[in-house]
Amino acid sequence: MTGTINIQIVTGDARPIFKQIVDGIRMEIATGNLPQGAKLPSVRGLAMQLMINANTVAKAYGELTAQGLVEPRQGLGLFVSEPRQLLSEEEQKKRLTTAVNAFVNEVAYLEFEAGDVLTEVEKALTKLQGANSASDKD
Amino acid sequence: MQTCIETHGLTKRYGKKTALKDFTLEIQQGGIHAIVGSNGAGKSTLFRMLLGITTPTSGSARLLGQDSRMLAPEVRGRVGYVNEEHTLPLWMKARQITAQQKSFYPQWNQSIHDEVIGYFDVDPEQKVAGLSRGERAGLNLAMALAQAPDVLILDEPTLGLDVVARQSFLEALMFTEREANTTIIYCSHQMEEIERVADQLIVMEKGMLKNNSSPDEFVARVSYWVGDFANGLPAKNTIPGYLTHRTIDGNHHILVADQGDDFGQYLKQNGARTVARNAVNLERAVNAFLTKNHNTPDSRV
Repeated sequence: MTGTINIQIVTGDARPIFKQIVDGIRMEIATGNLPQGAKLPSVRGLAMQLMINANTVAKAYGELTAQGLVEPRQGLGLFVSEPRQLLSEEEQKKRLTTAVNAFVNEVAYLEFEAGDVLTEVEKALTKLQGANSASDKD
Repeated sequence: MQTCIETHGLTKRYGKKTALKDFTLEIQQGGIHAIVGSNGAGKSTLFRMLLGITTPTSGSARLLGQDSRMLAPEVRGRVGYVNEEHTLPLWMKARQITAQQKSFYPQWNQSIHDEVIGYFDVDPEQKVAGLSRGERAGLNLAMALAQAPDVLILDEPTLGLDVVARQSFLEALMFTEREANTTIIYCSHQMEEIERVADQLIVMEKGMLKNNSSPDEFVARVSYWVGDFANGLPAKNTIPGYLTHRTIDGNHHILVADQGDDFGQYLKQNGARTVARNAVNLERAVNAFLTKNHNTPDSRV
């Protein structure tokens, strides 16, 4: 069965629509809403759902395929791949730094101790891993 | 791939006014190409010359591989055109107009027509005078797509449509099953629509071509800088890639084209105490290009 994708796109954002789709689907996979082996909607289907040009969806799917998050099966469509890392260690570090900087920027003005923040982050990460291992079982 | 539209040094002068200036553009077959430009940027002049209605002052225009000044009827039959007014004979019934159009176009595809009409609520027995603007737009689009054109020019087709009709129009345009690889030229001032539909973005300003790339590549050309200048901004004509500028709360907000991160260094070397780079969206990037030569209160300072 085709997985249902619960992503929203907004126009007027500094992130291009194709990037919003890539980020959105990546998150759906990370949270387990799209488990391994799930089928992605067709290009046309997602384009209709989001009311955008189908070429934009195709571009996003191309990017997700290049990142190894999804893989095509001949004549059947795209499926969520087995988790594996395609990014170099250097690239991963770079992305982690970017993400941490954005996060720190968001929490810097809040009145929490560093310890409280770390506890919350740990909770969220544990939950994410829980979701992933749950989806691995089915 | 076949070239759909090709102009070289196309120029049109009306008396002292230059409507189009040394305009060189190439559009390949296929995809949706959005054209944006202020009123008077030369869009209509460009179409009129492409369709052979107006003669160029100099330069050349080719449509579907044929010189626009000598278009054969067969080539004209492969071109669809929908204008913003959706002008149709008011006294005719929807059914009669459709039948008439059908007789003109040998490639007419009735199932495309029916699918598009399905997005709108058009009663075939209704006279055009009794149709709403949205229904007329739907009827027009249905006929234009059913003639299975190789090129379809849509000149601000959603102007004045309500939210529902606009959505139906875009859905019918993008998702109607078609066999032909129609090249769609889409003129609009609605950035939200352009972001949703465009494969390529063509920007025209004062009769000149300013951009022809994907919308994402276009946005990437523009960068937004905020600087705190103790002694004011350097002269605008010396700022590389300068587009527009505003002063907000004493800070200078500058939009520039085709500058990298080293532009921040440039600003610092020219008196900025602090510099920050912001993200831009499509609307801001387009506006920056279109307002470049417009007079603003700032530009007189």
